[in-house]
Amino acid sequence: MGYREKDSVETHNNHAKPIKSAVDKFALLPEFLKVRGLVKQHIDSFNYFINNEIKKIMKTNDRIECPQDPSLYLRYTKISIGKPVEYMEHHAEKLTPNICRLSDRTYASPIEVDIEYTVPNQTNKEYKKGLVIGRIPIMLRSSCCVLSGKDEAELAKLGECPLDPGGYFIIKGNEKVILIQEQLSKNRIIIDTDSKGRVNASVTSSTHETKTKTVFFIDKDKIYLQLNQFSKPISIMIIMKAMGMENDQEVMQMLGRDPKYGFLLFPSMQECRSEKIITQKQALEYLQGKLANLSSLRFEINKDDRVKKILINVFLAHVPVKDGNFRPKCIYTAVMLKRMMDAVLNVETFDDKDYVGNKRLELSGQLVALLFEDLFKTMNSQVASRMSKAYDKASRSTPLYFIHYMMSDTITNGLERAISTGNWDLKRFKMNRKGVSQVLSRLAFIATLGYMTRVSPQFEKTRKVSGPRALQPSQWGMLCPCDTPEGEGCGLTKNLALMTHVTTDEEEGPLIKWCRKLGVVDVEDLSGEELHAPDSFLVMLNGLILGKHTKPQKFANAMRKLRRKSVIGEFVSIFVHERQRCVYVASDGGRVCRPLVIADKGVSRIKEYHMKELRDGVRSFYDFVREGLIEYLDVNEENNALIALYEHEIPKDGHGEDNADVQKSSITHIEIEPFTILGVVAGLIPYPHHNQSPRNTYQCAMGKQAMGNIAYNQLSRADTLLYLLVYPQRPLLTTKTIELVGYDKLGAGQNATVAVMSYSGYDIEDAIVMNKSSLDRGFGRCIALKKQIVVKEIYSNETSDRIVRPQNEPRKQALDADGIAAPGQIVRRHDILVNKQSPRNKKDRITNPMALKDCDYAPSNVSYKGPEGETTVVDRVMLYSDKDNKMCVKFIIRHVRRPEIGDKFSSRHGQKGVIGTIVQQEDFPFSEEGICPDLIMNPHGFPSRMTIGKMIELLGSKAAVSSGRFHYGSAFGEPSGHADKVEDISRTLVKHGFNYSGKDLLYSGISGKPLQAYIFMGPIYYQKLKHMVLDKMHARSFGPRVTLTRQPTEGRARDGGLRLGEMERDCLIAYGASMLIYERLMLSSDPYQVQVCRQCGLLGYYNHKLKTSWCSMCKTGDSMSSLKLPYACKLLFQELQSMNVVPRLKLTEY
Amino acid sequence: MEGVSYQRFPKVKIREMKDDYMKFELRETDASMANALRRVMIAEVPTIAIDLVEIEANSSVLNDEFIAHRLGLIPLVSDDAMGMRFSRDCDACDGDGQCEYCSVEFHLNVRCDSDQTLDVTSNDLRSTEPRVIPVDVAARSLASESGGFDSPDQRLDLTVRVVDPEAYTYDEEVIKKAEAMGKPGLVEIYAKEDSFIFTVESTGAIKSYQMVINAIEILKQKLDAVRLQDTVDADIGELTQHLGRGL
Repeated sequence: MGYREKDSVETHNNHAKPIKSAVDKFALLPEFLKVRGLVKQHIDSFNYFINNEIKKIMKTNDRIECPQDPSLYLRYTKISIGKPVEYMEHHAEKLTPNICRLSDRTYASPIEVDIEYTVPNQTNKEYKKGLVIGRIPIMLRSSCCVLSGKDEAELAKLGECPLDPGGYFIIKGNEKVILIQEQLSKNRIIIDTDSKGRVNASVTSSTHETKTKTVFFIDKDKIYLQLNQFSKPISIMIIMKAMGMENDQEVMQMLGRDPKYGFLLFPSMQECRSEKIITQKQALEYLQGKLANLSSLRFEINKDDRVKKILINVFLAHVPVKDGNFRPKCIYTAVMLKRMMDAVLNVETFDDKDYVGNKRLELSGQLVALLFEDLFKTMNSQVASRMSKAYDKASRSTPLYFIHYMMSDTITNGLERAISTGNWDLKRFKMNRKGVSQVLSRLAFIATLGYMTRVSPQFEKTRKVSGPRALQPSQWGMLCPCDTPEGEGCGLTKNLALMTHVTTDEEEGPLIKWCRKLGVVDVEDLSGEELHAPDSFLVMLNGLILGKHTKPQKFANAMRKLRRKSVIGEFVSIFVHERQRCVYVASDGGRVCRPLVIADKGVSRIKEYHMKELRDGVRSFYDFVREGLIEYLDVNEENNALIALYEHEIPKDGHGEDNADVQKSSITHIEIEPFTILGVVAGLIPYPHHNQSPRNTYQCAMGKQAMGNIAYNQLSRADTLLYLLVYPQRPLLTTKTIELVGYDKLGAGQNATVAVMSYSGYDIEDAIVMNKSSLDRGFGRCIALKKQIVVKEIYSNETSDRIVRPQNEPRKQALDADGIAAPGQIVRRHDILVNKQSPRNKKDRITNPMALKDCDYAPSNVSYKGPEGETTVVDRVMLYSDKDNKMCVKFIIRHVRRPEIGDKFSSRHGQKGVIGTIVQQEDFPFSEEGICPDLIMNPHGFPSRMTIGKMIELLGSKAAVSSGRFHYGSAFGEPSGHADKVEDISRTLVKHGFNYSGKDLLYSGISGKPLQAYIFMGPIYYQKLKHMVLDKMHARSFGPRVTLTRQPTEGRARDGGLRLGEMERDCLIAYGASMLIYERLMLSSDPYQVQVCRQCGLLGYYNHKLKTSWCSMCKTGDSMSSLKLPYACKLLFQELQSMNVVPRLKLTEY
Repeated sequence: MEGVSYQRFPKVKIREMKDDYMKFELRETDASMANALRRVMIAEVPTIAIDLVEIEANSSVLNDEFIAHRLGLIPLVSDDAMGMRFSRDCDACDGDGQCEYCSVEFHLNVRCDSDQTLDVTSNDLRSTEPRVIPVDVAARSLASESGGFDSPDQRLDLTVRVVDPEAYTYDEEVIKKAEAMGKPGLVEIYAKEDSFIFTVESTGAIKSYQMVINAIEILKQKLDAVRLQDTVDADIGELTQHLGRGL
């Protein structure tokens, strides 16, 4: 990819050269994507799980003991994950992703552990290496995947597309993505107001063991703690006392000297005093009485202990308590109180929950780790319980081996089920999430990429609040401002921007060491007074109070220097919060960050020679980071930076400073490229910055429905439904993003010559008029590939289906001699694909299942279910055996379609339309050169939509075809030369004999006279969308009915009727068309003849033998009348009767 | 039928004539005539194309429908097309397209035995009728148009010199310019409404000049058909009666 890019950039720059002094940093982008890739966040997080986290999980749960005899134990010593293999009967088969996709298998690797365990009555420990405890699905392109580090040729050999980003799993042949989950930061103090308008401070503590929520709130001037374990809110002073802060003055000191804090705390103190709680012991006793009954069932331990345990393990669970020392927790509580009071005193504002810096993105690695940990623990407890059962039964003769009780299917099935259904049910964390994983959409290449960057929201989508849906300023550069769905998920479901990276966890140990070395004073060594000394800042590391520092700016700069020197991790963030008087150091996972060029006093550290080295291939993106030229900033640290868009924008020092709003010297960073604030999907739009914003959002939704190429291996894939374009093109007007993601290689559209004019009246309401000759030449022609699977069933009595050679029978012309339809055969609806027969007896035992006679089989042919009246072709036939060893036949059936009236098309600017009419070429307008448009678009599409980008695309494409150079339209690209300016385009047009404005003089194809107006005409990239008339059209006269109500079925798939609903009915009633109502609601629906007894008013029946009606209630047939009712009505009467409600019909003479 | 004769005598002047490119002037007639000729040339001059493909074996990477579509796009030498019949109204074979009057059969039999990609072109098509073969692309050189655009240039003394009236695409820019210069009415441009310049480009299926001749022939036939209908007093008579004019 890299080479051509640079080339085009250079040729481009000759054309529209930006100001010379600026270094063109665009070349960094392809390099960044080469190193990090589009879905690197997924792969990184999964790699972290596989290489680090899994070992930690094993270490914390490494011992299984027999409950009866603790000397009997098993210990894990090592855990590793191998390459993906599947164990067949006697050999291991290496798996590749494509094999798994085609044969419906799971792409998974064995988890191997080394164990040591004791055996009763033996002194020596037994060892076992490489024991498989289960199989874990492997993310494609992760370090365990066979595809990692492979080049294009090797990938091709494995049947894989080099442009496929990976980052998903293959479960039973289905591609599944674990979506990025958005969450509120853990272990951070959030100051907010609750629904009653009370100020509250909350912390969601999350450790490996537990997950708890601690809430402080102010009610009637008193401060309370809310904790699930206590039945009532507890005054904060009581908690302080319970933690050993018996002295009120000490608490006051911890909040700071200002008497304002004292006033706020005073009511709470009073309350505490009125409860007569002075000592720690009294406080604990008080709390004892307030315990919720949640845990009453559990065996009673020392009562004091229970309160203490709650204080240690539940209250602010993430703050560690070492040897019963509650001081860190007290300090933390004090800090929380102070922040809350600051909010009340208007010194500090409330925290914004929608601020991206307060959010963490949970990636697939973390989610799989959660699941794995849970399953690992379940498995261990299962092993222990099995062992204990065996221990009770054990006779002395059979020794107890732990290894016999290890089963490998808990983990395998658990992981497979969770990823394939998307249900994350974790008992430990009371987590019960649905839809975590989704099927990877392969409708379009872009849809696939879009899926990998999607961020799924934390709230349920029904909430009618606008806050979380609004565009946040802090999303800049991290989350795409355009790419969000319309409707319920609007603004909640987001997408990552092009350069966004999501961090993974990093070791805190070295960080703490460095902080200490740089002069952070431990809180343990400080008195409460010193905590908020006016000259010092608190230093927080991942939500914990590390200590304080007197020179925060200096400390932050030193830490940043360390980061730039790669002494500490590149994703560590250091953020100085002036108002909160805190320095936040963060190394936790899930923060979003992005790379920026470091500038010293406004001067970029990247010089031209750096870029030259990059172009020459002697310098990589990683080198830029390592040498401190580029660094990653997360959302919080961005607040400490001043980021310029371009270097040349900065006014020179001492010159023009008066009118510049920023001083050059205060600039700390420079953006790499402005168009990277958009995501992958929005990156396809040319000139998006000239469009009305919602149009770009619409295009983001539609780009995912466009047909085109899916992947290089698209024809060897076996998707349930695949739409391909026969002649896809790359857009004449490209963007840099398009080249970076490979959309130019896997295009999803065609460059159509569009005339913007009114024609024939069949183009109103966004309809388009198509040129028939263009369709003949292949415009918009597409292939629909559909999959149909036939299983050769094996039954419980060991008999099985058989597939036999066909006789010359109707509907079987597509079959081969083996009884299976042959590739290349034309099939129509109801044609038989497999000549299959099933045994008549599938249940009873049969002595010799192989020796069944022909007469023991009944035909169970499988026929093709396709659109009526269309001819389709069998594209491929695949034979394989599934996991139950049943033979399966997969048919891929191909249908080539030509655009017809009603098919949907769209340009890249959210302007969709259907074909209104198809017109012969001779009737189409033509220009003097003989150019005839492929389609005609109504000009009314422009004024209200304001898609100026589309008009510039037309101009640019026209210049591109006439000059033979692809033009660019990257977002905000004009100053840097990544988008051609309209002025330059016009010049090119004039040079090639066109009007500068893109208008042409056209002649009417019908009369031959010149058209009154000049027509804006040129090529625009048009996408064919997946919605086609053929798949949707439906009509019926008579047809199937539902058995229960005898009314027509519902829905196209069941050949259903078209419903005359209650609103339509209301219209007819209002109009008075009674006979029409009678016909629609009864005659055409479910008419039924009933016999009604005039005496009792109940339904009778008609005896066909005696030819009389009879009322079984009155036991007579004398007063029977016959009338017509809707069957559903009769059904209702009978159902009511069954419930002891008697509906009686009163008949009168009519 | 009596009435005034609207007969005109258009003049044709040929400027350039090649096998696949032709340029001529059509003068002293109006747009309806010129457009009729154009439309007939585009839509109704018969050429031969492949419209039924039977595939015996295809193991290439391209699917059957794809190949069939591309075969249908190949221009075939159609000098005899005027003498042939559409297979849909062929009496000799009941429209199944199997007789010599309405069909030509081609065979395509290519096999790639090397591990290189094999190019299959229209040259690989074997025709059963030597006069109907694919157009030889190599022998055809695309006529390159002279892409010059000379707008009338303005001089200091504001005399306007028209360099080439035909090269000028009328887009009002000159008039606007004149107005911008404060000299409205300096330039006036009129189109000659009775003269037309035709540029005929052919795929090579039929020679460009033959195409024009065929088109005129077809146009004549169509007019004959109209005249014939008129004498039989068919629909048109009814129509005029209905309109209450009555002849």
